[in-house]
Amino acid sequence: MKRLRMTSFSIRFPWIIVALALGTTLFFGAQFPKVRFDNDPENMLAHNEPIRVVHNAVKERFSLYDFVIVGIVNEADPDGIFNVQTLGRIDALTRELLSLHCNADGLPEVVRAGAPFAPDLRPASAWKRALAKVFGNDVNRLFDGKGASAIIGPEIISPGVVDNIKQADHGQLAIEYLMEQPPATREEALAIRADAMNNPLYKGTLVAEDGKAIALYIPIKAKTYSYNVANLVEKLTSDWPAEDQVFITGQPVAQDTFGVEMLVQMATSAPLAGLAIFLLLLLFFRRISLIVAPMLVAIISVVSTMGLLIGLGYDVHIMSSMIAIFLMPISVADSVHILSEFFDSYHKFRDKAQTIRHVIGHLFMPMLYTSLTTIAGFASLATTPIPPVRVFGLHVAFGVALAWVLTMTFVPAYIMLFVRTRALEGVCRVQEQESCETRPSRLDGLLRWLGRFSYMYWKLIVSATLLVVAVSLYGIGRIQVNDNPVKWFAQSHRIRVADRVLNDHFGGTYTAYLTLRPAQAAAPTCAERLAAMRMAAPKRFGEALPQATARFLGLLDEVERKLHTLGRADEERCFTDLVAQAEALDHEASGAWNALGDAIVYLDPEGLTYARLETAVAEAGDAAVRSIFAGRMAAFRNMEGSELQEKALGIVDGYASLSFADFLYDMRAELEAPAFKRPEVLAYLASLQDYLHGVDVIGKTSSAVDALKKANYELNYEEGAPAARNEAFYAIPPTPSAVAQVFTQLEGMKKKDSLFHLVTRSYDEANLWVQLKSGDNVDMQEVVADVQAWMEAHPAPQDLKAEWAGLTYLNVVWQKKMVAGMFSSLLSSFAVVLVMMMVLFRSPLFGILAMLPLSVTILFIYGLIGLVGKDYDMPVAVLSSLTLGLSVDFAIHFLERARELAKKHGNWREAIVHMFKEPAMAISRNAIIISIGFTPLLFAPLVPYKTVGLFLAAIMAVSWIATLFILAALITGLQKWLFKKTDPADSP
Amino acid sequence: MEKWIAALAAIAATTVACAEPSVDDIVNKANEAAYYTGDDGRAEVEMTITDGKGGTRTRKFTILRKDTEGGNQKFYVYFKEPADLYKQVFLVWKETADGKDDSRWMWLPALNLKRSIAPGDKRTSFVGSDFVYEDVSGRNLKEDEHELVESTDTQYVVKNTPKKPGDVEFSYYTVRIDKETFLPRKAEYYDKNGKLYRIVEATRVETIQGFPTVTESVVKDLNTGGSTVNAFSNVQYDIGLDENIFTERFLRRPPREVTK
Repeated sequence: MKRLRMTSFSIRFPWIIVALALGTTLFFGAQFPKVRFDNDPENMLAHNEPIRVVHNAVKERFSLYDFVIVGIVNEADPDGIFNVQTLGRIDALTRELLSLHCNADGLPEVVRAGAPFAPDLRPASAWKRALAKVFGNDVNRLFDGKGASAIIGPEIISPGVVDNIKQADHGQLAIEYLMEQPPATREEALAIRADAMNNPLYKGTLVAEDGKAIALYIPIKAKTYSYNVANLVEKLTSDWPAEDQVFITGQPVAQDTFGVEMLVQMATSAPLAGLAIFLLLLLFFRRISLIVAPMLVAIISVVSTMGLLIGLGYDVHIMSSMIAIFLMPISVADSVHILSEFFDSYHKFRDKAQTIRHVIGHLFMPMLYTSLTTIAGFASLATTPIPPVRVFGLHVAFGVALAWVLTMTFVPAYIMLFVRTRALEGVCRVQEQESCETRPSRLDGLLRWLGRFSYMYWKLIVSATLLVVAVSLYGIGRIQVNDNPVKWFAQSHRIRVADRVLNDHFGGTYTAYLTLRPAQAAAPTCAERLAAMRMAAPKRFGEALPQATARFLGLLDEVERKLHTLGRADEERCFTDLVAQAEALDHEASGAWNALGDAIVYLDPEGLTYARLETAVAEAGDAAVRSIFAGRMAAFRNMEGSELQEKALGIVDGYASLSFADFLYDMRAELEAPAFKRPEVLAYLASLQDYLHGVDVIGKTSSAVDALKKANYELNYEEGAPAARNEAFYAIPPTPSAVAQVFTQLEGMKKKDSLFHLVTRSYDEANLWVQLKSGDNVDMQEVVADVQAWMEAHPAPQDLKAEWAGLTYLNVVWQKKMVAGMFSSLLSSFAVVLVMMMVLFRSPLFGILAMLPLSVTILFIYGLIGLVGKDYDMPVAVLSSLTLGLSVDFAIHFLERARELAKKHGNWREAIVHMFKEPAMAISRNAIIISIGFTPLLFAPLVPYKTVGLFLAAIMAVSWIATLFILAALITGLQKWLFKKTDPADSP
Repeated sequence: MEKWIAALAAIAATTVACAEPSVDDIVNKANEAAYYTGDDGRAEVEMTITDGKGGTRTRKFTILRKDTEGGNQKFYVYFKEPADLYKQVFLVWKETADGKDDSRWMWLPALNLKRSIAPGDKRTSFVGSDFVYEDVSGRNLKEDEHELVESTDTQYVVKNTPKKPGDVEFSYYTVRIDKETFLPRKAEYYDKNGKLYRIVEATRVETIQGFPTVTESVVKDLNTGGSTVNAFSNVQYDIGLDENIFTERFLRRPPREVTK
């Protein structure tokens, strides 16, 4: 027989097969040292994915970095975090982090109390140290290629290095760090508290509103440093007293930590699962020599697949770290069928080669198809738009194919070589053939009962199934698609704890950025500028200087005519051409007053009297102006010194302050102002913020407007003035020039350029830093939808384009792609498998029947997810393909054997009795092995592994029941159409 | 014979050392050449700030300087461009005496606001550029220990270590001083980890009214990749500026010396 050719060869030349298998394993195993790991969930999206391009561009434009958030909480002190000792420690930690450098030994070193200090960063446990070595996790990797610190020192956010603008003594304005020096007294500590709480940029971000916590934001050059930076902070704070609790969180830390712990999981869960499977096999077959074969098949498949992945140059990603766990049950399942059958039929032949030929002979087709369907299920992942999932799917498909080849060749070869005949002889030597075939066991009894039940109550089963399907569909309708990388850690994990504590104290540790910029850059044309000036000039000058205004308008007309004849509109020209003329106009209109003013302003106020003033202005300006001035000064002649001088200048200013040249500059500033120097656009941004503060999940937003209002308030603050007068300045300045002048103060702060995280240097794009209290994708999605709806309902004064970036948003995007991708890949593999089934059974009816158990299983599992409220997340999405691949196997085996037995016995009624013996037994063993084999995953500290373990067990259990109950019941109901009447006498 | 050679070498060494002025002389002369040319001065400055990403911003201002007693100086900085900073003014009274702080005022015309600024850190950015206030007005010599570390054919290299390291962001800086003109040509700042991170360089020197004058200077921030160029034009010395100009009164009503 053709199908036996491969197996026959293996039986004849087992050594060649074993040598080949060994060679393959060694070849792929040799690739392992080349391994590289990629812990970054961001890589779930291709590098050129539009959102990643946007995300990186936003980070670049606003100099944003991923940061490690270090929260320090003090609940014990009555002053909370603002006590002398804790603030001192926070300052010392900040200085130490700033001083991080590579010492002569190439190790990280900081300056502690003026002396170099190289903390031991290695993990305390020897096991963890060994693992770190194996996976190449170097905790001392805190420097970039050039040996510079991974921490971006100038961008650290900590009280000692962030700007503050405040009132100082003598009505002066102070620009300094929030904590210039660590406080020495309680008063100083509380002053820092007051300053921090008065700064909208810091309250809720740097300092908790309850005053019990401070968060340091440590920017890092790349996310992959975050685990090591977090570790460094932990080591540097290890000697802190218990009341100063240190919590470290942030998406980068969560992601990087997950990556590191994932590798540990890979190194422990997969072998443990292997061990559990081994023990179960031992329980079922009781012959170590026999069950070594499936274990070897699993090991060779896993090693080769991982070797292939590494050899091809792919990084081991979160997805691919699960390859071993997925591949193990699938590869074992194939050989368990062979073993089960071999074990049960050896006594018939009492010859290994003959038994193998017999077993492979009638298992070949179902096994080929079960493997092909599994391959189709996983290979369909290649259609998803997520690169790591594609890599995962194709490699598992390769592993399944290899496991099939090994089952067909290596298992027979192994049996020939290593299973002693005497060991097999013992199986049934003393027993009767019949009892040997049907050794009673509890499972046997159960299966027999099941078979009877399915036959007698098939209508009940079908009705129950329909009910389950209906409930499941309802459950699926309630599925919530959601993920949150921080929730990949168990509740008690320190990252989850830190996440809870810090989100309780602060505005939120989840970051998203909303950028706004004008939809089109619209610099006004020359004609537009002239038109705007024509509108504005009469308003400013018309009443006071009607004649000069008319001449100024005439000048504007002239420029316009000139531009018209020149045929081009150079925006500069319509300004520069006018300045000299406007100055001439000013000179005519107020030249005399200005001459008078100049004569006064240069006077030394020391000992100035009216008489001296009069002498000084005797020649200034013209007689008319001098006489008005003298009249206005009449009441102040008794004044002296600077008081007199100020009064005189005040009078002059009253006449001379109107300047056409100044007007030109003002108009230029106004017309050329970029969007985020325009008060009305800034006000729009502020109202968007107001709206966002009402959204539940948003703890805080920060924008350039917050900084602007605060600076405007402090600049205009007047000691002793009524509070209402001062409060009125807590606002956006009224004109673009005023906005620009306040912003310029912020540009020149101590920490240079910190303003430019919130607005570009050209002020044409603003960045709203949104802090969320939850990193759940559903919450982020809701915020995105809310903002869109609000912006649609409230049109901006200038058409603004909104764009989201930030890790929290990025997660939403890749999750969307994941869900859609997984769904379409599930559909396509479903179709492919259905066609395969129809071809295999050469019957559309059998094909559809084969798909039913898995359909019910998938519906049930996802219905259950919906009903219990478990989020549909990354691992759950991936499991859909596994469900398809695995549960169709049971159906194939069941239907193939059912058809065979029905043919043999002539009717289904008799066949079903035999169906629920050996074939049902093999299926059950498989289901139990896989279900129980993955229980070690339930103890993993990482939730995705728990999920996979739990769902593998559930999938196996449900598809086992679905196959045995539903298929048996349906066949009973459909037997007329399924089996052609055959005479049992015809069968041998 | 050997003794003779040793003695000669010793004499030669002494001669060289004698020809070299003391480090205090050097830094005093350099300070004089860089910041105290003439009794007063005026210059127009075009400042181009380039950020690490290649974007540029330009500011134009006129600067007036007058030396007063005891090495004290007064500065008046008047902005002309960009249009939204038009007529903005900074007024600085630099004090060199021990324990005396500088005084600083600013005038924000669009806010109609005159404000006195507390004498805080002089190493804050000057209007958002890579220059700090201290680069504009000069760092007080008394704040550093000076050490002559090298003397080339044309330049002295002086290492300056702050007496109060906690007050500044650098651990030390070196200045290359031209032997002929005593103009500082290049200052290099090293951070607390000993890494060079900031360079201030005089890239163009012209002789004006007989005074060697820096007419273009560049500061580079190696951390951010940003740089700022100051190009000086219409430099004049000894114009007889009235000290009255450097008073609050002239904030609102700028003097002819800057508007013309």
